[in-house]
Amino acid sequence: MNNIKRGSLMLFFIFLIPLLSGCWDQTSIEERAYVVAIGLDKSKSDNENQIQISYIIANPEFSKKEAMTTEPPMETITFDANDINVARNKANTVVAKEISFNLLSVIIVSEELAKDKNFIRWMYDATKEREIKRDTPLIVVKEESTKFFKQNQPKLESRIHKYYDLILKYASKAGMIPNSHSNLGRYYRITQADASLFLGIYGTSEKSEYKRSEEEDNFMAGQIEIGGESNKVQFMGSAVFKEGQMIGTLTGEETRAAVLINEGLNMGSIIATYKDPFDDRYRVTTRILQKEDIKIKMDLKSPLPTIDVSIPLYIDILSQHSMVDYVNDSEKRERLKQSIEEEVTNTYNKLIKKTQEEFKGEPFGWSLIARKEFLTIKEFEDFDWMETYPEIDVNLTVKVNIGNFGNQSKVPELEEMRD
Amino acid sequence: MEDLTTLKNKAIDSNLEDTIEILKKFYSVPLNQDIVIRNFSISGLDKKATVIYINSITDSEKIEEHIIRPLLTNNSTEKKLENISPAQLLNTHENFSNILQDINNGNTALLIDGEPKAYIFSSSKFQGRSVEKPLNEVVVNGPKEAFNENVIDNISLLRKKIRNENLIFESITISKNSNNVLYIVYMKDLADEKLLQNIKDRINSLDINSIQNLSLLEQYIEDKVKSIFPTILSTERPDRATSFLEDGYIVLLMDNSPDSLVLPATFWSFFHNSEDHYLRFIFGNFIRLLRLLALLITLFISALYIAITNYHVEMVPTDLLLAISATREVVPFPTIIEILMMEIAFELIREGGLRVPNPIGPTIGIVGALILGQAAVEANIVSPLVVIIVALSGLCSFAIGDMKLNFSVRLSRFLFIASAAIFGFYGMTAVLTIGIFYLVSFYSFGVPYLAPMTPKYISSKDTFFRKILKTEQYRPGYLKPKDIVKKKESQ
Repeated sequence: MNNIKRGSLMLFFIFLIPLLSGCWDQTSIEERAYVVAIGLDKSKSDNENQIQISYIIANPEFSKKEAMTTEPPMETITFDANDINVARNKANTVVAKEISFNLLSVIIVSEELAKDKNFIRWMYDATKEREIKRDTPLIVVKEESTKFFKQNQPKLESRIHKYYDLILKYASKAGMIPNSHSNLGRYYRITQADASLFLGIYGTSEKSEYKRSEEEDNFMAGQIEIGGESNKVQFMGSAVFKEGQMIGTLTGEETRAAVLINEGLNMGSIIATYKDPFDDRYRVTTRILQKEDIKIKMDLKSPLPTIDVSIPLYIDILSQHSMVDYVNDSEKRERLKQSIEEEVTNTYNKLIKKTQEEFKGEPFGWSLIARKEFLTIKEFEDFDWMETYPEIDVNLTVKVNIGNFGNQSKVPELEEMRD
Repeated sequence: MEDLTTLKNKAIDSNLEDTIEILKKFYSVPLNQDIVIRNFSISGLDKKATVIYINSITDSEKIEEHIIRPLLTNNSTEKKLENISPAQLLNTHENFSNILQDINNGNTALLIDGEPKAYIFSSSKFQGRSVEKPLNEVVVNGPKEAFNENVIDNISLLRKKIRNENLIFESITISKNSNNVLYIVYMKDLADEKLLQNIKDRINSLDINSIQNLSLLEQYIEDKVKSIFPTILSTERPDRATSFLEDGYIVLLMDNSPDSLVLPATFWSFFHNSEDHYLRFIFGNFIRLLRLLALLITLFISALYIAITNYHVEMVPTDLLLAISATREVVPFPTIIEILMMEIAFELIREGGLRVPNPIGPTIGIVGALILGQAAVEANIVSPLVVIIVALSGLCSFAIGDMKLNFSVRLSRFLFIASAAIFGFYGMTAVLTIGIFYLVSFYSFGVPYLAPMTPKYISSKDTFFRKILKTEQYRPGYLKPKDIVKKKESQ
């Protein structure tokens, strides 16, 4: 009798477990609609409290190998809502499955909304939602995000999540966009620290006037002329956020420079061209590597605070159309070195001037280094890095180390050959 | 007529006729066909004599040549009986019960008129297999003899490997009616007396009519009858039994059992395989690694799939997730049903394949693979990924050589599947934790199940991976062997 009693009690408890637990949190994998990208725009209605939200939902059928479907690879829906989270339920009026943010690849914001003073309020909605990961990249687009989505038709990457993953990976490897710098987690951290500027990825599908430049990276997205039948969308440059609100942009070149001196960010090798000191018509193509750490010395206690930055660069020469014999002539090499150093220093000085005068803040992550100069957080806060930075005297030196001259270092003597 | 049971304890009569009558009653002659009673007279002594034996378990030729013929052709009048017959005289008995037992064991009883005792000659010859290759514990490298059903052969196989007077084969009769004999094998100079006494006590406390073989005996003496994990190892390899003996373990042998029991057993003895040590250090550890991997895959992969697809979708790479989602769209059942269906189907095929008569054996493999794999997917009953997962977990379970551990793993897999279906990773972790608590909490003949990993003992540290042979210097300390060092470190 006792045994039966104990047995039934056990059974009772076992049945109790699923009742009390999170079993009801379970949703079958095929009953979810996977949102790959979220677009945020200003609402077209007058209601200030609302924003226009777009979801791009991936179509799993498209990943099926057998029996290619005629269904499109994705579905876009757009509607007004109070915030990202309430939109999930609203979306279910048209979407048949439970909305899931598990596969969210990017959050795309229109420049108009990003520049709104209330933008930060909507961004913080994303922190409430457990499915949105903090490493989701934040992209600012010039036009409305709905338009961007419509224009964004990658020819070869029909699965859109793959497209975003890959293009952000390789564009940031080339340094054109600040990808690793630019996810939600960093946005929140930098905004809350209130000392540095946050760089978001900048992209557009709109063609602006093409700029023809000698340099290969002094562009914003949309300014590069690319022929053929490729996608209209370009990613280049960065959107600068101060206190959670967008205040300006950096070109590709400036972005590269900013990423390069940011200690927290490691980039791969980037390829850039510099003036040939012996022949103005040509430029030298180089691969820049950062083999040593950047040295930053700060003197913040004196009445005139200074920062000394020394940037060691390791440069491989990839091509030189002037056909100057740098390999055997150390003097010429020295001049090339000086010329590159000058050019890079110039770029940096311009960039620093721009940050000090236009943005009144720095996107280089120096505030973290500056903290070490103070004994307590309070001292640092009293110093007020953001306010002080524009007054700080930044001395920047670039040290170039020329590595090898490509696979075959020797160039033929053009004059002799043409004889 | 006197009751047979009371007769049994009586001494035999000196009158030959009476004795034979009583023996005939015992054996129900002529109902029993294979009882042979031969009457003749011993020449020289000039006495009537009778031999009784059971011809199906005796060597008739030997009886004819070595017992009967010398007695018939004897000329001397003084020679003692022992000296007339060249056959081995085992014993002389006065009691019916003793005589009967010896005849039942295949010996021959010689009764002589006027003598109130029976001469017992050894003549047994039971039918059985010869020594063959092991069927279940196959190795590529190493000896290929296996135990058979004949215990004398098995003893011989062990003696062949340990030529030492300290190797003891102690015999105990463990059942009352069938008189099954158990051999307790141990090294006198190694095995712990307490452990030996513990085992003997357990065996002596049995009061059972018949125990046919070791597989049945195991269930009478094991520590935890209802446990999912085995506590006694059985092996059909004499080389494996030998290495256990040499470490101070105790081995049980019995007639009619083509294997031996090794006790006490730890989790590791089930996990290991003799080939681990026959292969070189790196190769041996490689197969250990594979086995560990197989163990983990068998245990967890189905449960992982359920947990991930139901609760932790964010863990799957996007492309795979979309692919799973796409194939799942047309499947009418939830993941848990899908997995359970396939797992059960696989177990059924396995069991069916085992029991199927040999000639149709290959068919079941083809049918099973076809139906389960291709057709189930095409019929949209399961998604292709589930077929991969179940096939993987099924195949991996074959890499766990020991049959008992294999069952434990296959059964506990279902526990994990259930917990994953209800609680996701949280449930799996909880079940794993409880499982580890359980594993460390029980004993096999006084030895902790996970020793020497936890609790720690002096040992050769042969657990998940083995050490280099030279450095395996110690016998396992948890057995409390009389001599713990089995080799000195060589330079």
